[in-house]
Amino acid sequence: MMRRSFVFVYIMLLAVQMLLSDFVRISPYVTLTILPVMVLCIPVKVPTSLTMIIAFATGLAVDFFSDGVLGLNALALVPVALLRNPILGLVMGNEMLEKKEGFSMAKAGFGKVSTAILMVQALFLVIYILADGAGTRPLTFNALRFAVSLIAGYLLSLFVVGFLAPDNR
Amino acid sequence: MAKERSIVPVIFILAVFIILEVASLCLVSSNGSLQKIWIARQGHRFQAKVWGGTQGIMQYFSLKKQNQALAEENYQLTMALGDRMAELRDIGADSLAAKLGSHADFRYISATIVKVSRNRQHNYLIIDKGSEDGIHLQDGLVTPSGIVGIVDAVDKHYSYAISFMNPEISISARLGTDGAVGPLSWDGKSRSGGVLKEIPLQFKFQPGDTVYTSGYSAIFPPDIPIGTTGDARVVNGATNEIKVNLFQDFSTLKYVIVVENIGREEIMSLESVAFGEG
Repeated sequence: MMRRSFVFVYIMLLAVQMLLSDFVRISPYVTLTILPVMVLCIPVKVPTSLTMIIAFATGLAVDFFSDGVLGLNALALVPVALLRNPILGLVMGNEMLEKKEGFSMAKAGFGKVSTAILMVQALFLVIYILADGAGTRPLTFNALRFAVSLIAGYLLSLFVVGFLAPDNR
Repeated sequence: MAKERSIVPVIFILAVFIILEVASLCLVSSNGSLQKIWIARQGHRFQAKVWGGTQGIMQYFSLKKQNQALAEENYQLTMALGDRMAELRDIGADSLAAKLGSHADFRYISATIVKVSRNRQHNYLIIDKGSEDGIHLQDGLVTPSGIVGIVDAVDKHYSYAISFMNPEISISARLGTDGAVGPLSWDGKSRSGGVLKEIPLQFKFQPGDTVYTSGYSAIFPPDIPIGTTGDARVVNGATNEIKVNLFQDFSTLKYVIVVENIGREEIMSLESVAFGEG
């Protein structure tokens, strides 16, 4: 039941991300994305290789149904899936990984969850912004885009954690 | 076994990661014109780095061969230089001196050091040339940077030489090209220090003056630069003892040139006759 609800919420959030990519264009400096936190919230018991495949498919689906370059989200999201467990281990302790327990805001605390979100968001944005600019954008533009998108994505991700990693999980 | 078990999943995860990233890059490259150029450029840069690195590694492993070729070339050049010097002596000197000069000619053979000691009080070297290669007792060992030692024992394919860093060796050296001559020996402490003794006080010199082989020893040819003069002290109120900073760095020594004085036997027999008569 829990798995079914997670998959349902995940697909719903995927649809939300497609809408964000298609219709919400605040500024060229802002890339609104909740994809990294979605991958971060995939249950720890799912093996890393499968998590990477899910991340690849998720990124590809967003690229396919939005205007962006096909493969760009997948390119940036797969490394997030690869480093998800090391990041969770680093921020929340290896015990959580060994027990294969999920995390939530109440269990891990606001600070740790925020740190994990910022790390995956930063990793995703670095790759995404570099590949999207393809060496044509100046460093200042990329840096500003990174900073603004990181803050915007972090705030959005805090809501997503509430849906994908609820406190009663 | 446990290690194998933990490595296999890591390799599998990395393989999946690489496959997915390559697939993403291919998609990005085929769907974005800017990205296509960017990825191609990064690819070329990576290729250039890999090729450069491979070339560097190959060059490193071919250094031994190159060093041998250079040593051989050095030997050929030294031979040619010796011939030219002899010709110049023949042209420039008078008939008597020219005759003496031709007897005092030297023969050169390149050799590689196979063993060397540097940290003892009595240091030695073993070279990869022996009697079958034309090495004789009392042949000198030199490099373009100075003198190295004297052959003390010869086998068929190898020779044992006493290093200059050995108190048993003393060679005849000259201050400048036409200054005073005295025995030069190792200072017994450093790898680049020598002491030039018995220089009469009336001969003036400056710190930094070059010291050459004198050519009086029947082992080393004349005018090989050995080092430069340093501090001096007066001994017994009669002679100067001068510190010499050697050009030869004994810690990086790998190749040497063996010099043979072709006229040495004749000189020595002449000496024994003279002393015998005396």
